[in-house]
Amino acid sequence: MSQAPTPVAPAPERPLPTPTRESQPYWDGMREGRFLLQYCSSCGKVRHYPRPVCPHCFSMESEFKEAPLGGSLHAWTVCHHPFNFFFKASAPYIVALVDMDAGVRVNAQLHGIPEAELKIGRRVKLGFEPVNKEVTLPVFVAE
Amino acid sequence: MVHPLRDKAAVSGIGETAYTRGTTKSGLALQLEASLKALDDAGIDPRDVDGVIPYFPGGAIAEDFIANLGLKDLTLSAFIPMGGATCVAAIQMAAMAVTTGVCKHVLISVGRTGYSGSRVSTRLQQFPVFAQAAEFELPIGMFAPAQLYAQGARRHMELYGTTARQFAEVAVVTRQHAILNGNVVMNKPLTVEDHHASRMISDPFRLFDCSLESDGGAAVIISATDRAKDLRKPLVTIAGVAEGHPDSPASIAQRPDILEFGLVKSAPRAYAMAGVGPKDIDVAEIYDCFTFTVIRQLEILGFCKAGEGGPFVMDGRIALGGELPINTHGGLLSQGHVVGLNHVIELTRQLRGEAGRAQVKQAETGLVTGYGDMGDGSIAILRRAA
Repeated sequence: MSQAPTPVAPAPERPLPTPTRESQPYWDGMREGRFLLQYCSSCGKVRHYPRPVCPHCFSMESEFKEAPLGGSLHAWTVCHHPFNFFFKASAPYIVALVDMDAGVRVNAQLHGIPEAELKIGRRVKLGFEPVNKEVTLPVFVAE
Repeated sequence: MVHPLRDKAAVSGIGETAYTRGTTKSGLALQLEASLKALDDAGIDPRDVDGVIPYFPGGAIAEDFIANLGLKDLTLSAFIPMGGATCVAAIQMAAMAVTTGVCKHVLISVGRTGYSGSRVSTRLQQFPVFAQAAEFELPIGMFAPAQLYAQGARRHMELYGTTARQFAEVAVVTRQHAILNGNVVMNKPLTVEDHHASRMISDPFRLFDCSLESDGGAAVIISATDRAKDLRKPLVTIAGVAEGHPDSPASIAQRPDILEFGLVKSAPRAYAMAGVGPKDIDVAEIYDCFTFTVIRQLEILGFCKAGEGGPFVMDGRIALGGELPINTHGGLLSQGHVVGLNHVIELTRQLRGEAGRAQVKQAETGLVTGYGDMGDGSIAILRRAA
């Protein structure tokens, strides 16, 4: 008597960003290892996340320019419970919210710094973590 | 000048199902069951409801109420996409509708299969406001509210010295209140040690810092005060009500101050509309998706200064018999998660004098908040008619 094969659950896939028309240049930059932010062509102010209108001067013209990678820690959490199955294997992991020197904040996983050494204002640097041919995600490491 | 909405609308009926973990009923059935109870509580013929604001996404649309309850002439149908701030914000819309004569009786309903239906991360993807988080934060492993709000809690601890012991106090007191209520999911005593021993979800939030995933339905009827005074139950009026949206509303990360919520804008408006201040509040039902969220809202509401919410909740101050009893029904932390409509129901009971063993003595004025959708904040101040 043959036995039905035990079904094997497919490995959970990493959730990936779905770029919008506004955010595509940011993700293109990530893929190239460049931290590109959106600057207003009229008043020059930076904005993040990418969007159509400058909230300071209402201009719809903007350009993406390379921004500095340094920043300081604003807040963090240590994620123990993997709300998405993909992250089960890597939990617990730290997600750091960083005040970038460029004047915006970025949320990304923090690698290589133990939880006990975290404090507001600690310097970190944005790095690039390719997850497949199309997508690279930001990651924070020690400066 | 007295605000034209002050005390002109009333909570005329309240109803709720059993709060459980596990149900065979649909979200729609739970809403209809709670709605029929609320209509019976008010003494209103279901067919006379002419405004419906169902929670979205909750499995019901206003048309379902025509089909099931035989509404004769629906004049207002709306969704309010504000997550946990929805129900109290709906009171504002309902109050506007009944005081202008657009509606006679507006039904606000929630049905939720948070335990037996889809889980929180799945549900969130239905909320338009989470699109940015889905693009920028879900891929790095940060999407659930317990993760998104944890960073603010951590920052508060670092800036002000707020402690896990203070978080635990909120959970423990809320559980004590739940046990007095009876219609609750969590009915066993909780100790500070139990809290500290519970597993870490997203630091600094442990399991018992987080609200429940439960099944249940709740409904509230809002009517013009002139009509409500002739209905079945003691009159409870809406003295002040407001909704507020934070700057950078769809991204906490980009918010100038990640500890500022919509309540920063709405609370002063609601107090002004009602003509009262924090010192006039006898009982408060505070949206408690997380223990820390309660602590921070108490600061924003003016019960203490920024940074002092942690010490404020200690020493029995927020328990029954204390200076400001909160979440006298057990809240989202211990009673059940129906997006805070249970908070509105409990406040109404308190002001009617129907709160049983959890009754706050001489409760005349109380407030209820809603919080959600990345930090929208709504507030209603209710009072017993003199």
